[in-house]
Amino acid sequence: MNSIPLVHFLYLAAMLFGVGVFGVLARKNAISVLMGIELMLNAVNINFLAFARYWNWNSLTGPVFVVFVITIAAAEAAVALAIIISIYRHLRTANVDDAHYLRG
Amino acid sequence: MIETVLFYILAAALIGFGLMVITRTNPIASAMAMVGAFAGLAGLYAMLNARFLSIIQILVYAGGIMVLVIFVIMLLNLEPEDLQRMRAKGFVVLLALIGVGAAIVSPMLFCVIPNKDWANGSVSPEFGSMASVGAKMFADHLFPFEILSLVLLTAVVGALVLAKRKL
Amino acid sequence: MLEQYGYVLVFLLAGIFFILMAFITGWVFSPNGLLGLRYKYKKEILEDTYECGVETQGTSWFRFNISFYLYALLFVIFDIETVFLYPWAVSFKKLGVFGFVEMVVFIAILLVGFAYAWKKEALKWE
Repeated sequence: MNSIPLVHFLYLAAMLFGVGVFGVLARKNAISVLMGIELMLNAVNINFLAFARYWNWNSLTGPVFVVFVITIAAAEAAVALAIIISIYRHLRTANVDDAHYLRG
Repeated sequence: MIETVLFYILAAALIGFGLMVITRTNPIASAMAMVGAFAGLAGLYAMLNARFLSIIQILVYAGGIMVLVIFVIMLLNLEPEDLQRMRAKGFVVLLALIGVGAAIVSPMLFCVIPNKDWANGSVSPEFGSMASVGAKMFADHLFPFEILSLVLLTAVVGALVLAKRKL
Repeated sequence: MLEQYGYVLVFLLAGIFFILMAFITGWVFSPNGLLGLRYKYKKEILEDTYECGVETQGTSWFRFNISFYLYALLFVIFDIETVFLYPWAVSFKKLGVFGFVEMVVFIAILLVGFAYAWKKEALKWE
């Protein structure tokens, strides 16, 4: 019934992960960096669901784990955005290169 | 046949929106492209028979997290001119990463995975439904579920402490 | 399997139709639109942004209040809670009393965060 091979889903997830990594490395705006991280998390979710669907669909651990990942992503986004707001208050910028007080 | 076409449309939309997320200088445009990417992901999850998760994807990501991100973009009032174009060094690092990653992953993709006997056709209608995911989660993964409430509590308290002007 | 998603497609098309109709209606009745209507108003008024009848003030690029973020934060946290409440409610009978206690503990811990936010006046509009 499902004619798409598993490998295609894995390729798609790898491409999305690469796009996310590139966003994290190349962008200077902290919010765009956060969005790159979200893309990477979603690429991982595709892998979880693809393996759950094709490999062992009796166990359902994959979907449950994706629910957990989404929850952690929400908590992470909330805290990261609060940190960005805090940095903006002190330094008047959301540029990740300008926030280097801890660089030593 | 129609499934294959649908998959490639969704995959192209997803990668296209993902590229838009990281190439737009206006952060609002990035966030909107991100919402499109989440819609594409929800479609892919539905194709993988994970109906519950495709709804969750829209409900939580597009409806919750992106609202939070857009509010913060509005709050910081980052005008498009403030943002610099991406660094050229990033491309070099990216190419290096892709090279190393492809070297590690491709033996697995080309040799191991196609040779395994994947359960390609038959999937139980219960797979990915709300009831089955819930039964699995509350029976076998009880402890992680309860810990998640602590994670969310920490997130609320931490975000409030960081973001609120006067406590 | 794919046929079940026909309903989703119908809703999707209906949603796109609603958005498109809003744009097309605006275009039809606008001064330079399809009907080519001539309105006896000043040019500034005709070219002004129409929101809801009240005159607009300033641009849309202004600093938002921090309270928007705090409200959205609490919304996201309790949005996540509903994600867990749905599957719990669907399999409530199968889980029995034990499942009920689990969920009570989960909600109680989250309510501690809500109580903290309330006590620190995060829900008060500054």
